[in-house]
Amino acid sequence: MPFEVLMPRLGWNMEEGSLGEWLKKPGDYVVAGEPLFTVEGDKALQEVEALESGVLYIPPDAPAPGELVAVGTRLAYLLGPGESPPTSAESPSATAGFAATPPLVASSDAAPEPARPATREPAISPRARRIARELNVDWRQLRGSGRSGRIVERDVRRAAARVSPLAQRLAADLAVDVEELAARAPGKRIERADVVAAAAAAEAAPPAARQPLSPVRRLIAERMLTSAQTTAAVTLTTEADATELVRLRKQLKADGQEPVPSYNDLLVRLVAQALLEHPDLNARLDGDVIVRPTTVDIGLAVDTERGLLAPVLRDVANKTVPQIARESARLIERARAGQVSADELSGGTFTITNLGMYEIDAFTPIIHLPECAILGVGRIVPKQVVVDAEREQVAIRHMVFLSLTFDHRLVDGAPAARFLQRVKTFVEHPYLWLVG
Amino acid sequence: MRDLMFVEAAREGLAEEMARDPRIFVIGEGIGARGGNFNTTTGLFERYGPMRLRDAPIAERGFTALCTGAAAAGARPVVDFMFIDFLSDAFGDLFNQTAKLQWMSGGRIKMPIVLRGCVGVWPGNGAHHSGNYYPFFVHIPGFRVVVPTTPADAKGLLKTALRCDDPVLFLEHKGVLTLRGPVPDGEHLVPFGQAAVRRSGKDLTIFAIAFMVHRALEAAEILAQEGIEAEVIDPRTLAPLDIETVLASVHKTGRLLVVDEDFAPCGMAAEVAVQVMERGFDDLDAPVRRLTGLPVPAPYSPALFEPVTPGAMAIALAARELLAE
Repeated sequence: MPFEVLMPRLGWNMEEGSLGEWLKKPGDYVVAGEPLFTVEGDKALQEVEALESGVLYIPPDAPAPGELVAVGTRLAYLLGPGESPPTSAESPSATAGFAATPPLVASSDAAPEPARPATREPAISPRARRIARELNVDWRQLRGSGRSGRIVERDVRRAAARVSPLAQRLAADLAVDVEELAARAPGKRIERADVVAAAAAAEAAPPAARQPLSPVRRLIAERMLTSAQTTAAVTLTTEADATELVRLRKQLKADGQEPVPSYNDLLVRLVAQALLEHPDLNARLDGDVIVRPTTVDIGLAVDTERGLLAPVLRDVANKTVPQIARESARLIERARAGQVSADELSGGTFTITNLGMYEIDAFTPIIHLPECAILGVGRIVPKQVVVDAEREQVAIRHMVFLSLTFDHRLVDGAPAARFLQRVKTFVEHPYLWLVG
Repeated sequence: MRDLMFVEAAREGLAEEMARDPRIFVIGEGIGARGGNFNTTTGLFERYGPMRLRDAPIAERGFTALCTGAAAAGARPVVDFMFIDFLSDAFGDLFNQTAKLQWMSGGRIKMPIVLRGCVGVWPGNGAHHSGNYYPFFVHIPGFRVVVPTTPADAKGLLKTALRCDDPVLFLEHKGVLTLRGPVPDGEHLVPFGQAAVRRSGKDLTIFAIAFMVHRALEAAEILAQEGIEAEVIDPRTLAPLDIETVLASVHKTGRLLVVDEDFAPCGMAAEVAVQVMERGFDDLDAPVRRLTGLPVPAPYSPALFEPVTPGAMAIALAARELLAE
C-alpha cells in the first residue's frame, strides 16, 4: 500500500503552506526519520521528516516547490517494495478540512474522490446555449447569473446586446476581456473598434505585475494590520550622543574580539539593562492582564529575501556582550538563509529595529505584538553639536536618533519617556550599564 | 351563456347525453332516487327511472365487471364510484378486461364505459376518500383520463366521454365541485387532448393538474404583483396529454414548474417533466421543477390539509426559486 506524503500542519494557525523543496530525489529510497522536504509555514522554513520508509514517487499532478497548498494536500507517495505508483484516479487528495495535527504520512485507504478537472467550462442552460448559438455569442467568456453561476438566457441576451458578435470573436482572438470592457462603459455597446483599441492599449501598457502573497508576506500583512489597528501606538524620539559607544566598539575591535560585537549587539545589551530597570516596557497585554516576563528576550528585526523576520535573543540581561554577539550572528545568518524555526521567531518581550545602514535618522516603527514596545535606531552620524553653551563651544560628536514606539494601553507617556531617557543615558555613557 | 355550478354543469351534460342516447345508464351507490352523494344524478331518477339509474350494493368489483360486460354487449354504462378510492376493489377486472378487450378482439368489441368519481385531498376526508390515482390509469394503454376544472369543461368533457368508445376515467376533484362559472348555451363538447392556457405569461410556465389549476392561478396573481408573469396551463385530459401546448409555452418562457397534488414518485409531474426534457431540452433555461403533494396517506385532521398539499404561497415560492435558477 503506497503511503501518502501530506502537507503537514506546523502550527495551530496554519491552514496552508508552501512546499519549499524536496530534500530527496524521486526514486530515492527514503528511510523513516530522514528529512524529506521543507515547508514554508508560519514564517519559518521547516524540514519535515518521512514517517515511513519507501521509494519517493512524486506524481505529475503533485504541487510544485513554491506552490501554496492547503494543509493535508497530498505531495507524494512512498512506495514499498514491489509497489507501483497509484494512478491519479485513485489518489484521494485530501482537503483543507483537516482536524488537529494530521500524520505527516498517511495510508491511502480513503475512498477515491472523482477527479474534477481544474478548469471547467462554465455551466450553461440548454436554452442559453441555443440562444448563444443563434446570436453568435461566445458564452465561454460570460459570467452566469443563475444559481451556482449557471449561464442562463438573460446573460446571453445581455451579452449580445452589449457586445457585437464580431467584437466577441475578435476579443477571443486578441485575449481581450469583453466583460471588463463592458463594465468600464456601462450602457455602451462594445464594437469591433473598442476591442481593437483595448488590445492595442494592453500591448502598449503591460499589465502591473501580480503575485500572490507568500505565506510570510501574508503573515506580515496580518500582523502589521492587527498591530496598527489594535494598539494605541505613540512614538517618542530623542537624539543621543553615541560618541562613547563608537569608541567602545573601536576598542572591542582593537581587542581582537571575534566576532566584533555590532552596534545592535551593544544596543541589545544596554536596552536589556534599561528594561530591567523599567519592567513596564518589558510587558505584553494578555486579555485584561498585563504580563511582565521575568526575562528580557529581545527580537532583532532582520531584513531577508523572504520578508521581515525578527529572531529572538533569549535572556539577554544575563548574557555577556560576546555571547550576544555570537548568538545574534548565528540567528541572523539562519534567518537570511530561511532556516530559522518558528520557535526562534516567537516569544520576544521587546524588539529592536535598526535602519541606520540606510541613512535613516528617525522613524515610527510598528509594535511587534504581543510586545509592548519597539526601539527604532537611526544612523550614527558625526555632527557639529553644542557641548558647552556658556562657553559657546561646539564639537564634532557621533549622534544617533532613538525612536521608541510604545503601546499607550499598557504604559503611559512619562514612564516610557523615562525608559527612553535611560537608554539614551546608557548610549552616552556605556560604562554605566557595564557596571549595572 | 349561463352561470352554473360545476356539479350542475356536469349533470346537465349527463342528462343531455342520456336523452340523446338510450344506451347510456348509470350504476352506483345511492345514485338512484337519492341523486348521488355529490348530486351527480339529482333529478335524473324521476326522468329516466330505475332501469337507467340503478342503485347498487356495496360491491364495486361486481357492478364494474357487470358494466364491462354491458359495454362489450353494446350498452354505454356510467359507473359512479362516488370516491375513486372505491374503484380499487375493481382494479383487476379494469386492467385485465376493460382496458384490453378492444385490443384482444382486434377492435371488434368497443368499450364505451365512463368510470367517474371524486379525487383529491380535502379537509376531513381522511385516507380512504382522498386518492388521486390518475397515474395508474395514464400508465395503462387503453384508458382515457379526464380531469375537468371548470363548469364548462365538466359538461363539455363529460359529453365527449359519453360519446367515446374507449374506457374513460372522469375524475372530479372535490375542490372544484361547487365552483361556479360560465357554461355555453346549446351543444357544448370539449375534445380530449387539448390543454387550456388559463393565464398567459412570459416568465415561467406552470403546468397544474385538476384543483391545482386554481391554486396556480392564485399564485400567478401573487406573482403578478411582483412583476412576474406566469403562464398557467390546464391539461384538461392527462391521457391523451397535450404536450404540444406545454412545449410551446416553455419555448416562450424557458422555465417549467409542474404542480400536482398527487405524490411525486412515478407521477404525472415526472411524466410531464421528462417529456419536456426529451422534446424541449434546448428551450429549458433551468431544470424543470416539481411541486407535489406530500407522499403520505391523506390525514383526517383538517389542520393538516394545507401542509400536505401545495398551496398558492408554496407555488409562488417555487416559482420564485425556479426563476432564480
